[in-house]
Amino acid sequence: MVDETQSQKPRIGVYICHCGTNIAGSIDIKELQEYTLTIPDVVVADEYQYVCSTPGQNMIEEAIKEHNLTALVVAACSPRLHEPTFRRASKEGGMNQFRFEMANIREQNSWVHMHDREGATEKAKDAVRMAVAKARLLEDLHPKSVPVEHAAMVVGAGIAGIQAALDLASSGIKTYLIEKAPTIGGRMSQLDKTFPTLDCSQCILTPKMVDVDRHENIELMTYTEVESVEGYIGNFDVTLRKKANGVLTMEQAEARGFVGGGCNGCGDCEPVCPVIKPNPFEMDMAPRKAIYIYHPQVVPLLYTIDFDSCVKCGLCEEICGDKKAIDLEMQDEFIKVKVGTAVLAVGYELFPIEKKTEWGYKRYDNVITSLEFERLICASGPTGGKVIRPSDGETPKKIGFVLCAGSRDNTGIGKPYCSRFCCMYSLKHAHQIYEKIPDAQSYLFYMDIRSFGKMYEEFYYRIQDEGAKFIRGRVAKIEEDPGTKNLYVITEDTLLGQPVNIEVDLVVLASAVQPTEETDHVRNLFGVSCSGDGWLNEAHPKLNPCGTTTAGVFLAGVCQGPKDIPDAVAQAEGAAAAASIPIHVGEVELEPYFAICNEEKCAGCGMCIDLCPYAALDLVEKEGRTVMEVTEAKCKGCGTCGGFCPGGAIWMQHFSTPQIIAQIDAFLLGGEQ
Amino acid sequence: MSGKTHQYAFFLGCIAPNRYPGIEAAAIKTSKNLGIELLPLKGASCCPAPGAFGSIDLSVWMSMAARNLVLAEQMNMDIALICNGCYKSIWEVNHKLKHHDELRDRVNEVLKEIDMEFKGTIDVRHLAEIIYDENICGVAKLADSVTTPLTGVKIAIHYGCHLLKPRKEREFDAEGVGETENPMWMEELIAALGAEPVQYRQKMQCCGAGGGVRGYDIAHALDITNEKLINMSEVGADAITEVCPFCQLQFDRGQIEIGEKFGVKWAIPVLHFNELLGLAQGMSPQDLALDLHGISCEPFLNKLQ
Repeated sequence: MVDETQSQKPRIGVYICHCGTNIAGSIDIKELQEYTLTIPDVVVADEYQYVCSTPGQNMIEEAIKEHNLTALVVAACSPRLHEPTFRRASKEGGMNQFRFEMANIREQNSWVHMHDREGATEKAKDAVRMAVAKARLLEDLHPKSVPVEHAAMVVGAGIAGIQAALDLASSGIKTYLIEKAPTIGGRMSQLDKTFPTLDCSQCILTPKMVDVDRHENIELMTYTEVESVEGYIGNFDVTLRKKANGVLTMEQAEARGFVGGGCNGCGDCEPVCPVIKPNPFEMDMAPRKAIYIYHPQVVPLLYTIDFDSCVKCGLCEEICGDKKAIDLEMQDEFIKVKVGTAVLAVGYELFPIEKKTEWGYKRYDNVITSLEFERLICASGPTGGKVIRPSDGETPKKIGFVLCAGSRDNTGIGKPYCSRFCCMYSLKHAHQIYEKIPDAQSYLFYMDIRSFGKMYEEFYYRIQDEGAKFIRGRVAKIEEDPGTKNLYVITEDTLLGQPVNIEVDLVVLASAVQPTEETDHVRNLFGVSCSGDGWLNEAHPKLNPCGTTTAGVFLAGVCQGPKDIPDAVAQAEGAAAAASIPIHVGEVELEPYFAICNEEKCAGCGMCIDLCPYAALDLVEKEGRTVMEVTEAKCKGCGTCGGFCPGGAIWMQHFSTPQIIAQIDAFLLGGEQ
Repeated sequence: MSGKTHQYAFFLGCIAPNRYPGIEAAAIKTSKNLGIELLPLKGASCCPAPGAFGSIDLSVWMSMAARNLVLAEQMNMDIALICNGCYKSIWEVNHKLKHHDELRDRVNEVLKEIDMEFKGTIDVRHLAEIIYDENICGVAKLADSVTTPLTGVKIAIHYGCHLLKPRKEREFDAEGVGETENPMWMEELIAALGAEPVQYRQKMQCCGAGGGVRGYDIAHALDITNEKLINMSEVGADAITEVCPFCQLQFDRGQIEIGEKFGVKWAIPVLHFNELLGLAQGMSPQDLALDLHGISCEPFLNKLQ
């Protein structure tokens, strides 16, 4: 709060940057400088070609010493770019680094008023005057350090989560890998092959799955969901719900005294189970029992009882015998862990393409989605890798692939964005058809083929050479012949300028991808924002693609936006590296932008508690009174509480009410303050 | 269900009274048995035809439609109509003028010359949609009104374009009549009359007439109609039904024209939904003026059990 240095008369230095012609091209620097010198308390005002350069910084450092400055203003670009630079210079010059204020005369001025030199110059004067007004009231502030727990959490064990967990663990960090499904592997484990190399997806994925299972630093927790998150970077207290799966691991069995017992994955229980349900791993095209594993390569190899459908007949328990692995009365368990940082890798799901009713998914038997196609063509899938028409089990000879199905769709029904990997997997599908049904013909209905990655365009040429037919046009509708169940794909070939109507045996819709239902839930727990379409927001789209605006929380994979496997893995490695830094450093410095409660004024009404988006405020008893208390490490200094407090009891450091009022006055009153 | 009678201003359109007067008669008579009273909209003009007028002069199209709307506003009653073309004009102009101040001002400028003003106080609905509405009639009440069920016949339903599309502008999704790519609510209505609705290829394809196609290029229009007839006959339809006299004209007269122009012989009877409802409620073929149809309805009538 108000300190003694405030009594000292302000001596402010102002430095105006040309930024080459970025600023000087639209703003009269000389005029701005002359004006600045007329502002009260400004003892030095200088201009320079590039203030952020080494000579520019030296200039600032020397001026602080020479003029014994109490505050510094730099009129240049956005503080998001060079605020750290000038803070460092302030510190080097012997001044507290928080006595620095930046006036943005580039992004918010010269770039947007390129053709109005006079207006831009006047606006720059306003910005500098306002910055000086705040600089007069700046105070010494001191960042705080908090220790960081030597552990990390990765939420979601698809390929992105697996990679992030392996990297974190291999750098010596205890890593909790949380997966809501009974097995890890995610979407990638459902795929048959990967483009453009045509590797078998499971073959390249399972070694990593096994590594995760065996890694001494990874604690794998499947069939587990995040229940609640408290704390802040360095000290997240996470409560996990381990859902009751009704089956004991060998360790759990031993703990109960059944030495040598527990599930060994023998599978004897499965045939005796009388309950049949669709298997979501097979896109509901194959059955599973109430006690099940998704597929033979699951990690961990542990059966799971779906208690929503189990009738508790006890047949599994009987056949399991001495292993005593079955516990039909098992309850959900809550586990608390403490971690320093977290990586969210919660993946995606397919857009419900039946909403595009003109294509008839779920109405016509022979219209399927791309993930259903993956399972049909996969050797371990429900048909043993034989592609069939769902209506009659026949081998299709003419197959239509509808690309951009629900992507790049501005009708308000689908998604406006490009889902980024559908072009490539549809090319792969066309190749797989060529491999498995040599006399079949593939038709790809596309808008543009986006083959942007390494060796992708070459793959596109290869598929063209293999004989796939490419028809450029959005599919207007698909009609079914009720007798044969064949499909008529109706579109316009926009290259020929002709309507086309092609009869095919099977249609595969390359459905758009969207965030899962859980994405929103998980992001709220961790305080991560999302874009309008639900994908999680990175801290900066170019320069901080793995971080989030919540310190200590990072993103990997498709939950941040559609991406293929190489990109998902690359981002996962980036997120793991970023998440490991605070842990390896061992402590984090927090910006001192937190709120402070003036306990004398605080009436303990508690209205601020619910408003706080970061759960940083609590009501506590102090000397017989209820007052608000701030957990400084959690507070982001957003000012919501400070702006609202009916008693004016909350002081926002670095954005205090007097500082903001002074800026507003400086703007509204012009030079007449 | 209460015995309350729902009153509507009945917009006849042109084709029904002039070409198929049985539709008009059936609409008025059958509605009475469903708790719906259709009152004459005196002084109404052509809707006007959306293709012929709308594609040439929007101002004329909107002003004429608005005049018809004002007549109903003066009666303080919602409009009921029996033709998809009329629906396109009257419903859509009502919707546009209610939501766009600038268009409404433009139209009111024209209406001022005849001392009228569009106020936007009423709604416009198709009679078939009203009959399907549970709050007014509903499928069960419709079935209860049937005295001579139409058993033993297969009926191909043609919804017609203007009733359901463009999807973005229509409010059918909101009103529970369902989706526009594969609607099934008319199937429910037909089944309530005792007949068997059949599914066929390209159910939602145009009849060929609308949008000025029949007037502009009759051969092209008939080509589309012929394709629909092929698809309907493939599944053994004994009759075609629709809720639009212009579609009816295209299917009915069209079969004769296809014979003349392409040499393909067709003889599938075409009956408006209200005509079928009339038969099911015991009206005679004479009352329904079925003898005015181009394609004889006799084989259909004979097949009824």
